[in-house]
Amino acid sequence: MVTISVVKQVLDANDRIAQENRRLFDEKGIYVINLMSSPGAGKTSLVERTIEELRQRYKLAVIEGDIQDTYDAERVAALGIPVVQINTGGGCHIDANMVREAMADLPLDGVDLLIVENVGNLVCPAEFKVGENDKIMILSTPEGADKPSKYPLMFHESSVLLINKMDLMTHVSFDLTKARADALKCNPALAIFEVSCKTGNGLDGWFAWITEHIERFKTRTA
Amino acid sequence: MHEMSLSASLLAIVSDYAGRHHFSKVNTLRLSFGALSCIEPRSLELAFGVLSQGTPAQDARLEFDIQPVVVKCLTCERESASEEFPCPCPQCTSSEVILMKGTEELKLLEMDVD
Ligand SMILES: Nc1nc2c(ncn2[C@@H]2O[C@H](COP(=O)(O)OP(=O)(O)OP(=O)(O)O)[C@@H](O)[C@H]2O)c(=O)[nH]1
Ligand SMILES: [Mg+2]
Ligand SMILES: [Zn+2]
Ligand SMILES: [Zn+2]
Repeated sequence: MVTISVVKQVLDANDRIAQENRRLFDEKGIYVINLMSSPGAGKTSLVERTIEELRQRYKLAVIEGDIQDTYDAERVAALGIPVVQINTGGGCHIDANMVREAMADLPLDGVDLLIVENVGNLVCPAEFKVGENDKIMILSTPEGADKPSKYPLMFHESSVLLINKMDLMTHVSFDLTKARADALKCNPALAIFEVSCKTGNGLDGWFAWITEHIERFKTRTA
Repeated sequence: MHEMSLSASLLAIVSDYAGRHHFSKVNTLRLSFGALSCIEPRSLELAFGVLSQGTPAQDARLEFDIQPVVVKCLTCERESASEEFPCPCPQCTSSEVILMKGTEELKLLEMDVD
């Protein structure tokens, strides 16, 4: 018997494709976010709000990951924004290869911001890079404030946490202080915004963050 | 949750090495990951057992080296290992801690082969 030393990330192949995607995005000057949350936390609602706010200023495109239907993609297409649907066929996350294939079907020239809406799942999307600049996550108040302690990885990996459905907070007795504190323990650099995609409250902070990051990326790749 | 894709990636690495190192049977695969990385060893074994049928890694044993959670305390500034997270500082019980280690991705460290 022989022992062979390997020391390799098992997701190395995915990471390599993610890097290739990233290189292409860099060439084209596209800032990319990977949007993650539990099912129904408000990803598509945030995509719609963000499109409405930024569409005058920037060219946008969207990749929708869904286990089955195409409903989310239709919501985005209704706004007249190029969108490609990835059906993961029961898969629990989007991987770099799925994004690479979707990119072939998107008109990417001149796009400033590409939003990838991941599968609704708090567990594994954070482990699969797709070539994004930043991971953005949503926690909605009805899910409860214990999520950062149950799923620390996603909070650790994300740049932004949007606490959504603030309009429901008093009805669902969400412990905002605990959620914020535990999220910051996972990741002290996390930018946190308290928002409602229903009323629009609090979204200005998010719009400012994303605009600043698109602009910063442009000056870097220009 | 995605033990199938992890197993498929593992088998791709094994097959790559089998070609270069000319072995026909894998006895053990030693893996490591962080305690908080959401990997469930039993599910991974199950998925790997199914997918490895008919490959050199069929019947291979998976050994897991689980990397502990390490927190840094903002009050006493010490780093310590912890069984769980979030947790108070194991040294001074302050609740002002940040996560330092424990989310490491799945890695294949080495394999015993014939
Ligand atoms: N009250 C309230 N409802 C909201 C808010 N944001 C979204 N919703 C509702 O929550 C439901 C789910 O929202 P989506 O935006 O589809 O959530 P999602 O994360 O894209 O869902 P999946 O893609 O299925 O995982 C919809 O009925 C939305 O109208 C909010 O801030 N407040
Ligand atoms: Mg959606
Ligand atoms: Zn998964
Ligand atoms: Zn301490």
